Amino acid sequence: MKRNAALALGGLVITLLALFPLALILKQALTPEIESFAWPPTWFPHTVTLANFRTLHRTVELARGFGLSVLVASLTMLSTLGLTVSAAWIAARRPRLDRPLDATLVIARVFPSIALAVPLAVIFVRLHLYNHPAGLGLWLAHTLLAIPFAFFILRNGFRAIPVELEEAALLDGASRAGAFWRVTLPLARPSLGAAALLVFLVSWDEFAYALLLQVTNRPLPPLLYYLAVFGHPGLASAVAAIMLVPAVLLILVLEPALRSGALTGSGR
Amino acid sequence: MTPRQTPAVLLLAPVVLFLALFLVYPIAYASKLAFTDPLNGHFPSLANFAVLAHDDLFWRAVRNNALLPFLSVIVEIALGLALALFLSERFRGRRLLRMVVVLPFALPEIVVLTMMRYVFAPRGYANAALLAAGLPAVDWLRPGQPLALATVVLVDAWHVTPVVFLMLLAGLSAIPDEIEEAARLDGAGRLARLRFITLPLLRPAILAAVLLRGVDALRIFATPLVLTGVEGVPVLSTYAYHQWSDYGNDAAAAAASTTLAVLSLLVCLPLLRRREAR
Repeated sequence: MKRNAALALGGLVITLLALFPLALILKQALTPEIESFAWPPTWFPHTVTLANFRTLHRTVELARGFGLSVLVASLTMLSTLGLTVSAAWIAARRPRLDRPLDATLVIARVFPSIALAVPLAVIFVRLHLYNHPAGLGLWLAHTLLAIPFAFFILRNGFRAIPVELEEAALLDGASRAGAFWRVTLPLARPSLGAAALLVFLVSWDEFAYALLLQVTNRPLPPLLYYLAVFGHPGLASAVAAIMLVPAVLLILVLEPALRSGALTGSGR
Repeated sequence: MTPRQTPAVLLLAPVVLFLALFLVYPIAYASKLAFTDPLNGHFPSLANFAVLAHDDLFWRAVRNNALLPFLSVIVEIALGLALALFLSERFRGRRLLRMVVVLPFALPEIVVLTMMRYVFAPRGYANAALLAAGLPAVDWLRPGQPLALATVVLVDAWHVTPVVFLMLLAGLSAIPDEIEEAARLDGAGRLARLRFITLPLLRPAILAAVLLRGVDALRIFATPLVLTGVEGVPVLSTYAYHQWSDYGNDAAAAAASTTLAVLSLLVCLPLLRRREAR
């Protein structure tokens, strides 16, 4: 009985700590902004309203920010997968080629964003990609950010597919490309899906590059930052609520990949 | 080159080309910028680093940046280990609770930080809770104070401890039950089993978590920036951002961020050696 009580107490504390700030954001998003300024603050909403979302809707920037975030995340997903699929496959099949690529991508994974964002900003200014209305510069930066994640997931996925299956297809007269398209790629669909979702999320959540490269044409993360810093708790919370919907949905789908360590880059 | 090897090169070409253009070239560009005197164009020159050396904010950033990874790693390993041990016990609702524990990491960083601004503001929820409990309010994020650094560490830990938890949980579940069982039969108590069996066997997982969290904590950016601005708890990342956005000084920003990049690469070396060893 003592053990059960301890387990229940532990579970309760963990749940409260994990969910409490989330509940506050939803409360602030769904109450009038004036209530968020109250002191002492209200713990439960007094008035429930969608006023914050309506206000955001009337200001053009939210729709543009949302559109830009979706566009950049979608483009990043396409470019990242397009660039990494073939490399991840050859890395899975030839360890000798894998080693230098693996080391480079670990470095890319841990490299400070700011140390790339500063030179990229200077370079993008000259290429007219800086603060681009369609976020093209940010798209390139996010592709760079996402490549290691996609590569590690896809390489693990390809490693799990027996090379004998590809060899059998070759013996049956398929070309190398044909074997890859018709045998390997369909079998790799789960890891392709996981990589695509994760890459979308990496771009959707990303803050540092977005802040530096899109100074006025802002996607959602820097938009949220400015709303929070300039004292709009209701509006900021509403944007935060919008931002966390896809994040929470996708993470539920991604849970298995997460547990295997792919997300943290620690996957073998 | 044999014909069989030609396709391998072609398959690697897209990603290698992209990395050359958007990883290697910017790094080279930033290094050149950092070591070029902006006034007369001399290269190599330490002029930009001299500017940094005369700035108190830079030294505060260096100090915080040296301290933060240690504090973060200690707090996150302790919390992650406690959670992993707790959630490897067998009980009803364990699966659900594991999802709840991972949830903070699922939230976008900027969303977490926005929430925490409201929690730790002078008139925020943390102080409201303290007052309700009859305790005095605390200035959690007062610029330059040790408490502000501690708050940054705690907020960061709230967000990323799930990663440590997942790594250690995977490590724990790889330990065969038989070993614990044998020790139990030999009369080893709970603490003795933890000390002499679980922790030694968990060492590789702990080490991996320490390295990964260490390099991530070193380049921390958004947490101190959003919670305290550029002068509250400066680190090298926010300092470089400050030079770039507030002074428009590309060269000083490049010098500060290159310093950080070199530190990151040094810490990254053991990480690479571990991968080689596998």
